[in-house]
Amino acid sequence: MIVVLLIAHALFAVTLLGAITHQTIGVWTPAKRPAASFVDRMRSVSPAGYAGAIIVLYIATAALGAIIYPNYRLNVRIVLEQMQLPKANGSFELKEHFVALGLGMLPAYWYFWRQPATDYGRTRAVLTALLAFIVWWGFIVGHVLNNIRGFEA
Amino acid sequence: MIAGRSSAVFAVAFAAAYAVLYVVAIQYNLALFTYHPASEEFHFLVKPAADQPPMYWYGWMATSALGALAFAVAVAALPAPWTARIWSGWSWAVPLAAMLVFGYILRGYFIR
Repeated sequence: MIVVLLIAHALFAVTLLGAITHQTIGVWTPAKRPAASFVDRMRSVSPAGYAGAIIVLYIATAALGAIIYPNYRLNVRIVLEQMQLPKANGSFELKEHFVALGLGMLPAYWYFWRQPATDYGRTRAVLTALLAFIVWWGFIVGHVLNNIRGFEA
Repeated sequence: MIAGRSSAVFAVAFAAAYAVLYVVAIQYNLALFTYHPASEEFHFLVKPAADQPPMYWYGWMATSALGALAFAVAVAALPAPWTARIWSGWSWAVPLAAMLVFGYILRGYFIR
């Protein structure tokens, strides 16, 4: 069961990563001419359209992570300590705190993305970038830790 | 329009208060509840166990969320002129500062 939840957590995280990366690129470097290349097409997405999906995906990914966290606490963290890998442990500690702080930012993120495009542009852009950083940090740390420890079926 | 202004104040106040309270909750271990993963038991407030690692993370988030909710509701209820000049950037500046604080608190993991 824990393997199924871990894979679901990873799949939600990948989807969230794609959505928030598109939104961040779209809001920070919007395309000013018709999209011709792959990069231009990423820049020309409508960032506002991602906000609702990102909130749902963020909460779902965090909830799945919270469900499998006790398993990590009992079976992975102790092993990392025995293997004397403090950077790996510290990276996960930062991940849990960053994700928690991201949850607290979601009401503001939701509110400011519902406002007209001409209002609160900087606030919206920075909130999105911070959430993108948190998602990328969480994804990379989770991936690396899974590579270190793996999982037992 | 008044409801919109209150929503903005609530959103900014919640984001800022949650970040501050989360740092305080961790520094002073103010978890609303404790989870013992080995025995799969929840306990009200902070309750260490001798035979297993306790998990406070859920409790820290609950403490912060409840405190921030109360604070944000109170601030949003203030007369509009009092909150008219609240900077929307507090919604990201305070969480960003909290992230830097955690980087400092946890630096021992990275500079051994």
